[in-house]
Amino acid sequence: MHTFLTRGNALLTFTLSVLAGLTFFCFLSTALNAYSATATIDTVKVLVKNVPDYSAQKEKQDLGYLMFDLQANLDPLFNWNAKQLFVFLTAEYESLDNKLNQVVLWDKIIQRGENANLDMKNMNTNYYFWDDGNGLRGNSNVTLTLSWNVIPNAGMLSIVRGSGSHSFSFPNEYTNVRAQ
Amino acid sequence: MVLNIATHMDYEGQHLAEKLSHIIVVVFGVIGWIIGYVNQQFSQTIMVLGVGVLIAAIVTLPPWPMYRRKPLSWRKPRKEVTPDDSKTEKEVVVPASKPKKKNK
Repeated sequence: MHTFLTRGNALLTFTLSVLAGLTFFCFLSTALNAYSATATIDTVKVLVKNVPDYSAQKEKQDLGYLMFDLQANLDPLFNWNAKQLFVFLTAEYESLDNKLNQVVLWDKIIQRGENANLDMKNMNTNYYFWDDGNGLRGNSNVTLTLSWNVIPNAGMLSIVRGSGSHSFSFPNEYTNVRAQ
Repeated sequence: MVLNIATHMDYEGQHLAEKLSHIIVVVFGVIGWIIGYVNQQFSQTIMVLGVGVLIAAIVTLPPWPMYRRKPLSWRKPRKEVTPDDSKTEKEVVVPASKPKKKNK
């Protein structure tokens, strides 16, 4: 503490330590949050085709096609420690080849400040609904669920599954026409 | 020229300056955290802390007179006449003498 510069250095390093403490208490203030919400999902058009997946094997595999409606109010999930939400729609089902299949069909990044009250109709999926085999045709229990990844400013990244899911079945016949 | 400005404080002043800087930064940190929590914006916490750092810098970095109130009292240098050259006088600074303990 004997020159101007050493005093200035001591002040700045102490401030950094205080800032680290404040950030830790910010993490503590939201550590017990549940980040839960309800989602209402519906399917509009459901088709299944049997085509070769040229990026994988040459055998024909099932390719599902669907359009969906989605309502979910995720605004209450944001707080001073929630920087953004990574929201994704998953289809789960059982097939002869695999006991549990989970396919992500759609995702969206919602940053703090953007509208998080989702109300979407007739949405197309972002990704192809490939099955690992031929397990989609006539599959009577395919469940769509909405989940989100909470990215905080300080603390742990959590994955929360929303309550509210929608089950549907694929038709028994393959479609040959090009789905619009 | 800037390097020649005196920036020293005496030891009591340094202690006071360090204590004051810690208190100011912590108080503004706590106030900032509360403001940020109420408004749910962590950026406000950081800005209030930044204001606190500026105030602490103004109060504790420059050598204000309140940090120079207790300077060390140095003894004055004593002039001594050496035995083999009586025409010149040398200034001798005598260090503070401590009583020596003899171990037996």
